[in-house]
Amino acid sequence: MAALDLLLRLLATILHAALVFALAPLVLGLVATLRARLLGRRGPPPLQPYLTLVKLIRKTTLVPDNATEFYPVWPYLAFAPIAAAALLVPGFCAGLLTAGLSDIITIIGLLALSRAAIILAGLETGFGFGGAGAARDILFGIFAEAALLVTVLTFVLIAHSPTVDGIAAAFRDNHIGIQVSLGFALAATFMVALTETGRIPVDNPAGHLELAMVHEAMLLEYSGKNLALFEATAMLRLTVWMSLIATIFCPFGIGRAVDILSWPAGLALWLIKLAALSSGLAVFELSSAKMRIFRVPEFLGVAILLGLLSAVFLFLAQRIGS
Amino acid sequence: MVACRVVESLTLALGLPGQGMHLGLDPLTFLFLLILAPQITAAAIAGEARSPTFWAFVLGMVTALLAADAFTLIFGFELMSAASWLLVLRGDRRPATLYVAIALFSGACLVPAVFLPPGGLAFILILLGAGAKAGLAPIHAWLPRAHPAPAAAISAIMSGGMVKVALYVIIRYAFIVLGGSAQPWWGMVLVLAGAASVLIGALRAMLEVELKTLLACSTVEHVGLIAIGLGIALRAKAAGDPALAELALQAALLCAVAHGLFKPLLFLGAGAVKHATGTTSLDWLGGLLRGMPRLGGLMLVGAAGMAALPLGPGFAPEFLLLHTVIAAAATGGIVARIGFAALLAILGLAAALALGAAIRLIGIGFLGRPRTLRAAAAEEADRPTLTAMTLLAVCAIPVALLPGLLLLLIQPVIAQLVPGAAPLRLGYAPLPLALLMAAAAAAAMLALRRFGARGERQVPAWNGGFGRPPVWLPFGDPKTQPGGTGFAEPVWRALGIPILRHAGADPGELYLFTPIARLHFRLTRLAERIRRATIRQRLAFVFAALVLFLLALGLGQNG
Repeated sequence: MAALDLLLRLLATILHAALVFALAPLVLGLVATLRARLLGRRGPPPLQPYLTLVKLIRKTTLVPDNATEFYPVWPYLAFAPIAAAALLVPGFCAGLLTAGLSDIITIIGLLALSRAAIILAGLETGFGFGGAGAARDILFGIFAEAALLVTVLTFVLIAHSPTVDGIAAAFRDNHIGIQVSLGFALAATFMVALTETGRIPVDNPAGHLELAMVHEAMLLEYSGKNLALFEATAMLRLTVWMSLIATIFCPFGIGRAVDILSWPAGLALWLIKLAALSSGLAVFELSSAKMRIFRVPEFLGVAILLGLLSAVFLFLAQRIGS
Repeated sequence: MVACRVVESLTLALGLPGQGMHLGLDPLTFLFLLILAPQITAAAIAGEARSPTFWAFVLGMVTALLAADAFTLIFGFELMSAASWLLVLRGDRRPATLYVAIALFSGACLVPAVFLPPGGLAFILILLGAGAKAGLAPIHAWLPRAHPAPAAAISAIMSGGMVKVALYVIIRYAFIVLGGSAQPWWGMVLVLAGAASVLIGALRAMLEVELKTLLACSTVEHVGLIAIGLGIALRAKAAGDPALAELALQAALLCAVAHGLFKPLLFLGAGAVKHATGTTSLDWLGGLLRGMPRLGGLMLVGAAGMAALPLGPGFAPEFLLLHTVIAAAATGGIVARIGFAALLAILGLAAALALGAAIRLIGIGFLGRPRTLRAAAAEEADRPTLTAMTLLAVCAIPVALLPGLLLLLIQPVIAQLVPGAAPLRLGYAPLPLALLMAAAAAAAMLALRRFGARGERQVPAWNGGFGRPPVWLPFGDPKTQPGGTGFAEPVWRALGIPILRHAGADPGELYLFTPIARLHFRLTRLAERIRRATIRQRLAFVFAALVLFLLALGLGQNG
């Protein structure tokens, strides 16, 4: 029985990996298409990111003549941690082989490692735009990490488990009910996710003006295969964040790796959740404008406060409950 | 007095008459000796082996660690202070006075503390004395001035080793000697001091332009992290929660081990940069990785540790510390729980600031284009320095990849400090994580090689479409790339101005050192005025004193 369980978990992990890597470009494409449609434009087809990746891979890679030996290393160093995080965050079912590794602080660390590689890539050739983007990204990261850590406190204390997998299982199986603190935590997590994935109130992924760029500005000197890896990293990052939010805040219907019969329902629900989050993101991006760089710390300061409030409400609720 | 489960004890004929000096070796001492060993070896390799002052400094540190009685401890501690003062003086005259003042202050606190009966007063004096030496807030502002002053190998040991000896004294007294009368508030004091150190140290590390000052500020941050771990452990031990105390001690001790490896590594690298280019200011460096590829690679290892990135040596302690704070927020009174939630936010800010500081060190100093001709002409560091740095980097590999094993080795120390703690399992496994990342990178590489276009072409950097620089500027105009100051400017505007004020002064300096300096100035002026008094004024003083004395006498007799 144990061998069968292990086999099923292995199968689930492989399926999860295949799905995450295959679907990540689609999620990004879906957001872009929905956004264009809502604006009344026809927009690119949802499959456009796949075509972009293929196009980039087929192009000759250009290397700036003043690049160091580490120039081709940064894309891999940015991609690998996000890929590992994508394997750690449960998608359609909990209890993957990587469940024991999926400590939420490890995942935060992996996201930070990937961000560090991208920032160093931006500083690699030493031209103004890359440096400006890097300095801004560090500023955002400081506040985002503080907000995220405070928010994580609430999940870990409610679920009594430090791993994302354990949090998902606890929120699925125990009737936690709707808690005020989880509402605050959800808002804070959304704000951090928007910052980390470079979406609209913080950064405009479709922008073409170098001066206003943050994430894209750091990749200006990259082309061809290297740029394809960075693009794939951005796509995976969006999917990882969506899976994370879906797993923690909306865990109903998430399957069990050892129970193959729960897979189809879990799979269908996961896809629906991803689609719902994509459309939610598209609508949100339409309804708000990009803010000035120095408004972002205030925006994320609100996220820190919301995270602290969620912790305070949790403590009060536990005190009244006990 | 210090003797507690001494494994081996040795009495020397030196020392106080009739008593001698007692040396002992127990797990705690052994751990700190192990922390010191690689950096002392590295500093000796890097060129300090012939300096007698250096060996006196080492002897002081080792004596303080091995001491089994209070006299030997103070003797070693003061020998360490005096020798390091000489070394600071040899490097730079200006911070030496401040340094010796702090050393005197810590001596003045420690000497009475070790002879006081166990209690709150003794603990506060120990914390003030050893904390001042360790660079714990609020007495931390001297550290970023004094630590960069001597030669790089000495700076490395001061930041990586001397600070640890001071922390050892805090651990020894708070957990063992005064352990019987420990109160939960002792831990809270340590946590508060640590939180302030972490925030100010990390912020200043992000803003400083001088490489060695930046590293010293980062040391303040790491001392704060260790102090937070120790404080939570002390509080949990006094409150009867050995599991939490053990988790916190794991975090603190592992942080001490990791910091003792990557910080000396970075300081040695900063020294090599100074040797090659004549400066350590980030505003005058840039593009060093081309001239110094090996040094750059080693610095990258150290910077990964400083930034607490996963798979680096600094992540496991940070991971444990964050879990410690989360666990501490799960129990206790509601005010303390909210305090721990806020502490988590501070730790998040500091972790990201440390990441920013490390990125700035590498990205501005070693990547990009040279900002000066000297930076462009930098040649690889000399062989001894590279050997010493490689030694430290190799020692950091087990800390980075096998932290679980290391925690098993630390277990006896924790059992000595907190009796009755059961071993905990570490929730962070770097090896499987490294395997996953390597698999992902290999898959990406294979896919790109199989389906991608072959070949690369070297071209001038695109630079947003701007034209090529003129021929007399071979690396382009240095002003068109962000420098060390400009790179930190967004953080300065968002966090620096609210916390450090417009002048950029450290709060420890602004609210502690400056008022003391002003008071000192006023007292000197007063003494000078008294000294310069004319004969009439002096006679008036004497007469007034006589009248007052008689008046007091008369009033006393009447009453």
